[in-house]
Amino acid sequence: MNHDMKSIALGAALVAALGGVGCGSDDNGPLSSIDSLIILQRPKRNDMGDIFQYTSYKAGARLVKLSPPTADGKQEVICCDKVPGFEQADISGFDISFDAKEIVFSAALSGSSRYGLFILNLDTGAVDQIPTDPGRHYIMPVFLPGDRIMFTTNALEETNARQFRDEYERGETSQLGRINRDGSGEILGPRNLSHRTFPTLASDGRVMFTQWDHLGPLNAGHLMYVNQDLRELREGFGKEGTGASNSTLKAREISPGRFVAIATARNRTIQSGALVDIRLGTVVNDKGIVSAHDHATEANATFKVLTPDVPRGNEPSADSVGRYYDAFPLNAKDSPDLLVSWADGPVESGVLGSAGLSANFGVYLYDSTRHLRLPILDDPEMWDIGARPLQTRTPPPIVGSASDASLQGQVRIGAMNVYDSTMKSFEPGSIYGVRVIEGFSSEEGFPEDFGTTMFEGQASLGVAPVRPDGSWLATVPANVPLAVQAIDAFGMALLPEPVWFSGGRGESRVCGGCHEKRDSSTVIDPGLTDAAAIGPTQMFGLTPRANRLSALADLTNPNLISTAAGMKAAGHEKLVGMAWDSAIQSVLDAKCVSCHGDSNTAGVAPYTITDPVTGQSASWTFNLSGAKKPLVVGGMDLAGEWPASYFSIAGPDMEALEKANLVASGNFKVYAKPQHARDSILIQKVNPTQLFPEPNAGRRAFNTTPHSTGNYAELTPTEFYKLILMADHGVNYYARENNPRLNNY
Amino acid sequence: MMMKNIGIKLAAVALVLCAALPAYAGKDGSALKIKQAIASTSVDAILAEVERAEALACDECIQLVTNLTEDARYEVRAVAAWWFAKRPALKKMLAEQFDAELLTGGTVKVRNAADFLSRTMTYTALPNLRAAIKRDVGAEAKLAIVRAVHYLGHKGGNEALTVAMTDRDPTVRAEAARAWRDIYDQVDAGPVLALLGDADASVRAEAATVVGGMKTLAGRGALEALVVSDGSPIARRNAAWALGKLGQAASRDALTKASGDESGLVRMTARAALGQLR
Repeated sequence: MNHDMKSIALGAALVAALGGVGCGSDDNGPLSSIDSLIILQRPKRNDMGDIFQYTSYKAGARLVKLSPPTADGKQEVICCDKVPGFEQADISGFDISFDAKEIVFSAALSGSSRYGLFILNLDTGAVDQIPTDPGRHYIMPVFLPGDRIMFTTNALEETNARQFRDEYERGETSQLGRINRDGSGEILGPRNLSHRTFPTLASDGRVMFTQWDHLGPLNAGHLMYVNQDLRELREGFGKEGTGASNSTLKAREISPGRFVAIATARNRTIQSGALVDIRLGTVVNDKGIVSAHDHATEANATFKVLTPDVPRGNEPSADSVGRYYDAFPLNAKDSPDLLVSWADGPVESGVLGSAGLSANFGVYLYDSTRHLRLPILDDPEMWDIGARPLQTRTPPPIVGSASDASLQGQVRIGAMNVYDSTMKSFEPGSIYGVRVIEGFSSEEGFPEDFGTTMFEGQASLGVAPVRPDGSWLATVPANVPLAVQAIDAFGMALLPEPVWFSGGRGESRVCGGCHEKRDSSTVIDPGLTDAAAIGPTQMFGLTPRANRLSALADLTNPNLISTAAGMKAAGHEKLVGMAWDSAIQSVLDAKCVSCHGDSNTAGVAPYTITDPVTGQSASWTFNLSGAKKPLVVGGMDLAGEWPASYFSIAGPDMEALEKANLVASGNFKVYAKPQHARDSILIQKVNPTQLFPEPNAGRRAFNTTPHSTGNYAELTPTEFYKLILMADHGVNYYARENNPRLNNY
Repeated sequence: MMMKNIGIKLAAVALVLCAALPAYAGKDGSALKIKQAIASTSVDAILAEVERAEALACDECIQLVTNLTEDARYEVRAVAAWWFAKRPALKKMLAEQFDAELLTGGTVKVRNAADFLSRTMTYTALPNLRAAIKRDVGAEAKLAIVRAVHYLGHKGGNEALTVAMTDRDPTVRAEAARAWRDIYDQVDAGPVLALLGDADASVRAEAATVVGGMKTLAGRGALEALVVSDGSPIARRNAAWALGKLGQAASRDALTKASGDESGLVRMTARAALGQLR
């Protein structure tokens, strides 16, 4: 341990040289009222590049107390060197109780065990395990008022289901949960389709955390709020271009409405980055105490970068600049003093790995006015992280949410007026209804991708009609990711909301509008919406996951949707997942292949993909048959494992073309635009007829000549709608109905 | 020999498709960066560069990543398989060869094959995984087979798991027990019950978790015996948790006794389990 002592001695010398902020003899510094710090020391490692990685295990972690909190303070290991069974433990995170008498921490006792939750009694040193599922990981514990603990976990309560996999389908996601301090009353929150991580308690009683949002092109980590009962999910910071970086994480409240957080990229940054000071509302400076609680919304949020030179992407950081792992605010000055963990040099996993190095995080006092770091503790063999004062704090109020027992475990969702939107101006009467879509990832048994478009698995739960006052309501399954699309009379999405949300059992999630202004109220007259008066549309709310799919006979029935007057397009609700090989290929085989098959009698010109460096190229001809045809570029067959029809309509993986700097020329078209049937060439070509509220063959979606006018076969309302759903579902090949796992092997 | 075989396979890809192009330098990932990461021997560097080349059309990358499917480290093999899963035609070519090696390969080949086939969701490998677990391929390969069945989550792997539960190596038995719980459409923990009396504490502990997690009431008696008398605090803890999940009033005496256990791993778990009894 000689190197430790050298490091601390060096630190002490630096503190003295820089003016002694926080030294025991200086009673005016930001640490002067603090007797000791609790610090987590984990053996240094280099396998946590991804900000959502939570299973990195290395034996030898410990919690230490540093008293006084200065570079020359005394270190005392408080956990868990003397506790039997913890000899090989790794500790991944901790929190201090409000009375500062206990610490809750997450630890794995061996490389083969999962992370569980433990309580350390600071008076006796006793450690008790909080009873959680020994077969699942429980991490990032946070004390809540009322003797409760929030955590993240990969456990789930749904039977015969697996936890979602992340956006790259490589990792099992973590979700929010809560348990009583005595081990009773564990609840698991509504799930996101990707990770939820780094919960932190705010003074208003809500919990802020980082949510990974991934729906098609959206791929970023944003700050969100939930109540202590894991409900009332609300945006916090980072969406709609307001963020400081791709991902914002490890937020800690500085003052009401104000947080310090790490701004960084999703991967390769060892979960570290720049420090940002986020102000969610109107900034108020009251005698030097800066807060931003009034009008606090994501739309009003601003941020200030506290570490200007630190990269907010995943490029390697420079020497003497480094990256910050976490921060704890010591005051609420305009430029706050912070306890930080910081590592010097290129804190980027690839560069570090190539050099055989690991990031060396040490604890520093950071003066964000002068951008100065004063060393407090740096063990070169350990990550010194999570430093925070060992002192009492006032618990925030217990915040709960209403629950409606009459929902029988379902969730009620809706809006008071869909025309109230900040994202788009709708013509009055242009919205027929709202389609609700359930999302899932490859955990149900799919290959890595659902197609070439990088969209998640999707299933339509139904369409709720928009009532005369603009309102709609539906009852849907609890605890599953949902997305909503305002649709027109043809069934096409007018505004697909680019995020997943979910609700807990008995929860009502009714918005003012369709992404309405967040800092004002939606006013309805006379106080009860038409949708509430009529009642919600039922959408598989009590149907088990495995049964939320179409019957195969329905998928191939061209006349599933009734065209009879007064039947209100009955049958459309039976179209759930658009499995390409049955739902879509059946349409193409019946109406398209005779001209657009292998023989290409329609004479559609091909397109060519060329490597401008070598001049080599490969060509593709539009083909709507179900046969597989290769298109090899750069040693990669872009098409051959999909039916030619799918590849012709969905197009190649555009990211693959872009990343390889390949050039498409000739008659290059992508015929279906994910989530945008209305903007898709295929849909415009066939020009659908009205579907809602009643099928009407006399009304077309576009003022163009429909393909059928050329003496070609007309599509039925069912066929039009299947093509539309295919596009609005993200142009996937796979759906639940053609899940390969459902076969026998 | 493995390398040569894969080389032949890739040559066949080019021959069949007759249009393979040379390497392209992507905007981010590249063959050079993957090479440098491999040279560094760093798992994290390799993962970062292979992930970065997720969608890269790169002829030269194919052989590099093919080699990684045989790396000694599981994380590297897994990310290599993931890269091929994004390239279904190439994946299919490799999967056919790996599938065959389940029946002929030694420990390392079977291990690599099982990992590749599962991480590419190759369900058609299940028959050979069932056959391979019965071969004398060593614990490392059997662990990989169990891991593969676990990842696939298909009931077609149940037979492989039940065979693995009788393996002489306790790590294989424990992994098989753990996997049983996560198979889709699994009814109960019946085959795991016998492992509650296993000679190895880690197997007993894992089995207790599965029996509790699947609420298999037939395990109550054995769990009660574990919670009061097992020598391993981990096994006692898991048994206490499992008894809480079963929620049977008959477990009250055992859990009451366990609530005074000397180990902090067990005490609170037992007390909480008492509160779950009906």
